[in-house]
Amino acid sequence: MAAIEVSELARTYRVGKKLRRDGAKRDVQALRGVSFDVPAGQLFGLLGPNGAGKTTTIKILTTLLLPTAGTARVLGLDPARQHRELRRRIGYVFGGDKGLYERISALENLRYFADVYRVPRELKARRIDELLEVVGLKGRERERVETYSRGMRQRLHIARGLLHDPEVLFLDEPTIGLDPVGARELRETVAALQASGKTILLTTHYMLEADELCERVAVINHGQIVAEGTPAELKRRATGKSVIEIEAFGVDELVVERLRALEGVDAVSVEHVDQAQLVAIQSQHGPALIPALLAALGPITVGRVVAREPSLEDAYVELVST
Amino acid sequence: MTRAFVTGMRVQITQMLRSSFDLIAMLIWPIIYASIAYYLLDAKETPHELLAASIGSAVMIMWAQVVIGSSGTLDLMRQAGTLELMVAAPVPFVTVLAPIMVSTSAFGLYGLVVTLVWGRVGFGIPLAIVHPLAFAIAIPACVIAIAALGLIVASTFVLYRAAFSLGIAMQYPVWLASGLLVPLSALPGWLGPVSWFLAPTWGFRAIERAAVGGDAWPSIAVCALASVAYVSVAVVFLRVFEHLARQRASLKLA
Repeated sequence: MAAIEVSELARTYRVGKKLRRDGAKRDVQALRGVSFDVPAGQLFGLLGPNGAGKTTTIKILTTLLLPTAGTARVLGLDPARQHRELRRRIGYVFGGDKGLYERISALENLRYFADVYRVPRELKARRIDELLEVVGLKGRERERVETYSRGMRQRLHIARGLLHDPEVLFLDEPTIGLDPVGARELRETVAALQASGKTILLTTHYMLEADELCERVAVINHGQIVAEGTPAELKRRATGKSVIEIEAFGVDELVVERLRALEGVDAVSVEHVDQAQLVAIQSQHGPALIPALLAALGPITVGRVVAREPSLEDAYVELVST
Repeated sequence: MTRAFVTGMRVQITQMLRSSFDLIAMLIWPIIYASIAYYLLDAKETPHELLAASIGSAVMIMWAQVVIGSSGTLDLMRQAGTLELMVAAPVPFVTVLAPIMVSTSAFGLYGLVVTLVWGRVGFGIPLAIVHPLAFAIAIPACVIAIAALGLIVASTFVLYRAAFSLGIAMQYPVWLASGLLVPLSALPGWLGPVSWFLAPTWGFRAIERAAVGGDAWPSIAVCALASVAYVSVAVVFLRVFEHLARQRASLKLA
C-alpha cells in the first residue's frame, strides 16, 4: 500500500476585499486535479515554482486545509475526516525561521512540543537528547531560540518534527534561506532519515537538492502535475537538447521575451549572479544558435558563452516554462 | 493532556515574563486602574466602598489580561507559525488554548494584590477581609471562570486574523455589562440578564462579598457552574472554528 495517495485533488481559495462596495471576490485555483502516489519508505520530491501549489498540497495532506475536490489518503487515513488519528502519525516541518517559540530555549520548545505531540513521558527526555544530537544542537539547547541562526532554527524544526517518531514526514522547502553549508548539513540529515525507513514528501524549488535526495519527483505548475518520474527520467526529457549559457549584464524582461521568440529556442531562464545575469537557453540546435542569440541580445555586454548537456534544472525549467 | 496543559502554562508564563513590554504593562496597569477607581469614586469616608472599587478594578484587570493577553498570544502564534503546528498537534486544541487563558487570568491575581496594597499605601484603605476562607476560594473561582469565558472568546481568534483588535474591542463591553465600570442599577434594565451570563459579574460579587461582608458562597457556586458551562461551549466552538479555519485557510497570516 502506498503511504500517500492523492487523487484529483483540487483546492480553490476565495480572495478579495470584503469592504469593497462591489464586494468583488474571485476564486483562485491553487490545485487543479493533482494525483500522485508515494510508496512507503520513499523520498518523494514535489517540485515547482512559487505559487505552483506545493504548500497547498502539503497542507491538505497534513490536515491543515480541506480540499474542495478530490481525495487524499495518508497511511490509509483521510486527512480531511480522520485528522485526529492521522496527526499522531505524521510530522510536518516547514522552511524559514518561523514555527518556534522565540522567547524560550530550544530545550523548552522541544519539551512543550513533545507534550502536545503525545510523546510518552518515559521516552521524552531520551528522545529529545537523541534528536538534539542528530541535528547537531547538543550543547546549545539551553539558549533562547531568538538568538539562533536560521540554520540552527531549521535544524531545531527537524528535531521538533521528529519528536513523536512519525511514519511520514512532510518537509516544505526545508532549506529555504539556508547558507550552502547549512543546506548541505540539512540534506545529510534528510538522507539519513530516509535511510532509516521514513516516508518523506519534500517540496523544493532547488533542483540540486531534488536530484541529490529524491528517488522520484513530480513537477507541479499552476496547480497541476506536469511531469512525474525519477530525476534521471526527467533529465532524459531534455535529451537531444543543448543548453547555451550566456553571462550578460543588464538583461531585462524585454530581452528575455526577445530570446524566447527566436526560432529554435525551447526555454529561457535567468539567474542573477552578482552584477551579471546567467541566461540559460534550451534548444535542439545547439551552438549553431549562438549567433542568433547574441544578435537578439543587441548592445548588452556579454561575458562567457558556454554550450553544455542539460541537467534536471534544465528539464524543470522547460516543464514550468510551457 | 495534563502534561501538555502544565507545560503550556509554564511556556506561556515564561514567555510573558521575558517580554519587557508585557511585564511593564502588567506592573503598571493595576496601579493606574486602581487610582482611576479611587478618584472616580471619591468615597474617602466609606472605606468599604473603596475596597469594593479596588476589587472591581482588579477583576477588570483580570478580564483585560485574558482578552488582550490571549488575543496577543494567538496573534503572535499566527505570525510565528506556531498556531498551525499546534492545530496540527494530536492533542485537542483546547489543551493548547486553556493554559494561555489560565495563565493570563492568573496574572490578574497579581493585579488584585497590587490593587489592595496600593489602596492601603496610597489611599489608606483598610485591608480587613470579613470572610477570609470565602475570600481565598472566591479568588481562584473568579480566575478560572474568567479564563473559561476567555476560552469562548479565544475560540473565535482562531478564525479571525485580526485577533488582537478583536481582543481589545472585547474589553469594554464586558466591563460595562458586568457592572464593573458603572453600577448595573445605573444601566438599562435589559443589561441585567446579560450580566448573569458573564463570569466577571459573579467573580466580582464573590470576592467583594467575601471581603466587605455578605454571602459569597452562591456567587462562588455560580462561578464554578459557569466555568464548566463555558468550557463545554468553548470545546464545541473550537471544533467548529477549527473546521472553518481549515476550510477558509485562515490559520496562517499570509
